[in-house]
Amino acid sequence: MIKFIKIILLFTGISYLCFFPQHAFAKNRILTNVKVIHASTGPQHVDPSLNKIISGLQSVFKYTSYRLIKDQQLNLGFKESGQVSLPGKRTLVVIPANMEGKRIRYQISIQKNRQSIFQTQVLLKNNSSITIGGPQFNNGVLLLNISGSVH
Amino acid sequence: MGKKCNVYTSEDISRFVDKELPKNTYHEVKQHLNICLKCNQKAEEYRTLSSVFTDHAHQEILKIDPAELRHKLAQTQENLEKKSLRNVFGIFGKNIYLKLASIAAILIISLYTFQGDHPAGPSAIVKSIDTDFASVVIIETQKENHTIIWFSET
Repeated sequence: MIKFIKIILLFTGISYLCFFPQHAFAKNRILTNVKVIHASTGPQHVDPSLNKIISGLQSVFKYTSYRLIKDQQLNLGFKESGQVSLPGKRTLVVIPANMEGKRIRYQISIQKNRQSIFQTQVLLKNNSSITIGGPQFNNGVLLLNISGSVH
Repeated sequence: MGKKCNVYTSEDISRFVDKELPKNTYHEVKQHLNICLKCNQKAEEYRTLSSVFTDHAHQEILKIDPAELRHKLAQTQENLEKKSLRNVFGIFGKNIYLKLASIAAILIISLYTFQGDHPAGPSAIVKSIDTDFASVVIIETQKENHTIIWFSET
């Protein structure tokens, strides 16, 4: 009987360790990283800090040069707005709205001269990223790589 | 010493004594025994031997207690059944609780791992886009499932 109780206690302990971190420490901070990349058809160049995402970008775009022009971290709570200044009087606004399952719901907008020119709502996989591209800049385009992780 | 009889073999005589021969052969051997001293002697030997065996076997049978035999048979059967059950349900042997707890723990850990931070599908699911620009493309890269939104400012 004692052995049985010991085993039950052990089993309860394992279950507790598995589920405790999820429920006891409610994660409510979203660490958002914004990489502003200038992509162009200039001399071949890939910024070393873009190694993680470059293969995905190169599989889609025909640009030869990828230069990181800004790398900004935003530690935001839910419904808290974070801003990143972009070249060409533009501003990127990101708001982690809530969690939907294992994904973070982001409201993202790009403003130019304080006017919203682009808005989107995405469900971003935790510890993953999305790239928004298109704004023209300096004979190339801006690619905005936005990643988010729950803390 | 008389001559050896070549008509019937020792086996035939033995089978005659044990009444295992076909009816016709049996009668032929019986008639032969009346005229052949050698075979008659052999038959007598077999009869004596047979009666010794029969008597001994009968005595041994009388020693056996049917109730005890039945009990032993039942016990053997029971042991065999237990052994086969142990073989079939080997994993639920002695430490059944420990084994069940281990299985449950493995299941919980697996579920926890698989439902973790790795939902399947693209890196981002685009729920809505609002822009004045006419051209918007949503791309998912093949290898990394990386989501890209592309809009043209022109």
